[in-house]
Order: sequence, then structure tokens, then C-alpha cells
Amino acid sequence: MLKCACNALFRRSVTTEYNASKILSSGFKSKISLDNLYPKNDQPFKGEKHSSPKSDEFFSGMIPLKELSIQCNRSSGPGGQNVNKVNTKVEIRFHIDSATWIPEWIKPKLKEQQENRINKNGELIVVSEKTRKQILNQADCLDKLRQMIFTAAIKPKEITPEQIELQKKREEKANMLRIQEKRRRSMLKSMRRGEF
Amino acid sequence: MASKVPEKALNLIRNYPRVALNGLKPIENDYRYKSKPRRSRMKATQSGRGNKGQGQRMTLPRIGFEGGNTPFYLRIPKEPYYRGHHLRREYPPFSLLQLQRMIDLNRVNIDEPIDLNSIVNTNIIKINPGDQEFGINLTDEGADIFQSKVCIEVQWASEATIAAIERNGGMITTRYYNTECLEAICDTLGFFARGIPIPRCPLPPRDAFEYYTNPDSRGYLADPELVKKSRFKLAQKYGYEPPNYDTENDSELFKMKDPRQIFFGLNPGWIVSMKDKAIIKPKDPDYVEYYES
Repeated sequence: MLKCACNALFRRSVTTEYNASKILSSGFKSKISLDNLYPKNDQPFKGEKHSSPKSDEFFSGMIPLKELSIQCNRSSGPGGQNVNKVNTKVEIRFHIDSATWIPEWIKPKLKEQQENRINKNGELIVVSEKTRKQILNQADCLDKLRQMIFTAAIKPKEITPEQIELQKKREEKANMLRIQEKRRRSMLKSMRRGEF
Repeated sequence: MASKVPEKALNLIRNYPRVALNGLKPIENDYRYKSKPRRSRMKATQSGRGNKGQGQRMTLPRIGFEGGNTPFYLRIPKEPYYRGHHLRREYPPFSLLQLQRMIDLNRVNIDEPIDLNSIVNTNIIKINPGDQEFGINLTDEGADIFQSKVCIEVQWASEATIAAIERNGGMITTRYYNTECLEAICDTLGFFARGIPIPRCPLPPRDAFEYYTNPDSRGYLADPELVKKSRFKLAQKYGYEPPNYDTENDSELFKMKDPRQIFFGLNPGWIVSMKDKAIIKPKDPDYVEYYES
């Protein structure tokens, strides 16, 4: 009797009908909803900005995947039926000269450094069968490709005339010290031998 | 039936005497333990203590004593890596392979967002809140064969898992629930039968806070703009087109719950009565303020 009363006391409002479609659309917002935690930004992140970088200046690391041809093959090594059937090896190909997303000044260096990976048609081929999963092998391929382009993009440091002078001075000093030490050793030896 | 009860209750309040110290009485059929009086029927007996020895004479040794040899609780060494083991949270694994199988067998509806509740309702996997289990850890086993576009909410996910879901156009969020909320989620009908209001989910504890505010782990408390950036970066890393959630067809699919909300479409503070097929909402301003805070 008392239990029934307690329940009834809680029901201070009108009960609503159970309606599935109405429930899904009702949105609940508490004080810690994302709108309250992060009020709207003036500069929201836009993917488009990153999709077309200025290709002539530097390589940003962004690779447009539509311009690559990605192929999945069967990997090598032990593994029985699984390795025979599952396509986990990933091969990425693209034609270097027609790639607009690599700055032009990097291409000759890239061709020189990755000579062994370029075929007759001028396509760079990057292969990975590092892991057991195709998704991770694809990530590895792209990582390798980015590394190749970044190493080809390394510009040698420009040395100023002051630095050249400094280098010369240091070399001369080092040489002088070396010869002094050599003469000292020579004297020591001749004294030990008893030469005058 | 539902409408007569408030009337009856109000009637009782009107007619009953005022609540005072002289009018209090314990509940009938008190379920609490009542110590039985230890009196023998005929003559004086052993009063349940047996005959002679340490048991009758109150000289039993301390608990754990094994007659002289090093007792079990002292034999086992204390190792530093066990420290706080009783406070550690567990996230039993649930692979993408299992998820794909569930979807293929129509155990789960991918036209709606999938959360812990829908996964547990399939009865394929069971989460025990009493065993320090705090939800699901979506593992990357089956990442290569996963082909469904889903909006999923789990408690832990690795980078490869997130990539596998987003490259199929889906959305993944990692979300914290405390034990009370998990009890409601893992046995929903049992919870509704208890007649308790839906709990308001608290913020994650300190050691989990960093994970759930991190955009790289798609935490539910992370900045949405940083999450977008992270999605783009991950797409570049794993080699797929970043997912787009703005299409008109998927307005019903890509939804996220409020940080305090446990069930889609049900607010904290509501009571769901399956018997009466009704939802009871609080109207008292204090309750409303509490549940919306």
C-alpha cells in the first residue's frame, strides 16, 4: 500500500504515449553538450583547403589518392591457406611526370634516388607486405612514398662566405696542432733512442 | 488503472494522521536479519557451540591461521604490478569481424546508430558491470573484410579500427559509461522493471579523461573541429577518402548522444514503464534542473 503511494507521489506530470518515431528525433541537450563545451568556431576546419596545396613551393605531405593506382595482391612467405588466399600485399603505382601534386623541382631528384623502383613507363612502384593486414600495409606504402618524396625534397644548406672563412681557419688550426703533436712525438722518440 | 493511482494516493494523504514520532512503525515482514534467541528447550545445553575444545571455549586462533605453517595469505608475495588491480577498468574485446557477422545476419540494424545497448541486446556478447567491465573494446581483427557503413559508439577503439570504419563512410565515437549506467544498458528490461529513473551519466574519471577528450581516439568530449581534422589526417595516413556525414539520406544515421544521455531518444530522469507502455517524466523544477545539468 505504502509502496504504491510512493510511486504515485513521483508521478507529478501527465504520462506520454510510447511513440517510436517521435522518440528518435527528440534531442536532449544538457549543460555539458558539445555545443556548450565548444561554442562555434569562427574558422571551422575545411578539408578543401588542404586538398589543393601550392604545388610549386613545397611538398605538404598531402597525397591525392584518386591519382594513385592501388592494387592488392597475395603476399609471400609462410602462412598456409591464409597467405595463399588473402590479398594483403599492397602495391601503389603512379606516373611521376604527370603527377601534379609533386613540385617540379623535386621530380628529378626523386627519379635519381628511386631509380630501382621506377619502371620503363616512368611509373614509381611502392610495395608493402610488412604486416598481416591489408589496411596497415596500405598505410605503410603511403608512409614509404611520403618518406621518398621528403628525402628527395631536402635542399642542401647554403653556406655563407663568412662560414667558409671560419671553416678554413678551423682547418688550418687543426692542421697546425696536428703537426705540433707530430713533432713532439718525433722528439720524444729520438730522445729515447739517444739521438742528438 | 494508471490514472486512478494518483487519486488514491492523494486521498490517503488527506485522510492519514500527521507524520510524527508516535506514529512510526517498522515495515511488516522485515527482511532484515533477526538474531534468534539462543535458548534451549529443556535443560541447559551447548548453545550451538559444540563440545569441549577451542570452539566451545572461545580460544580459536585468528582467521587464516593454518596450525603453524606459513598461511596462504602470507605465502603469496605482493607484487607492485598488482597494485590497484581492483580499481582497473576492463573493456572486453569485440572484433570488427564479429560486428560484420552480426550485420550480415541482421542481428543489428545499420540504418540506426549502433551503441553498446544494441550490441548487448543481440545476446551474442555479454558485459558484466559487476566484474569491473566498463564496455566494449572494438578490435581491428577483421579490419580488411569490414565493408559496412555504420554509426557506432564503443568504449575503446584503436587507430586501425577507426580507419577501417571511416573508410567505409561510417562514424565511430568512443564514449564512457559508469557502472550504474552500464547496469541500465546491459539489462535494460530488468532496469525498467525496477522503476528507477534513467541515470544521468557522469563525466569520465581522471585517468580516462584524456582518452575521451582526445580527437584522435574520437572521444565524445573532444572538440568536433579537431575531430574533423583528425579524420582527414587519418584518411591521408591509411589511404582512403575521408568520410562525409552531410548527405541528406543519412540524417537518421549519423547521430551522437549527449554526454549525459544513455539511450537514444530517452532523457535522463525519465521512468519507462513497460507494463503501462508509458514514460513518466519529472516536472519538479529541482529534478528537471538536476537531470539537465
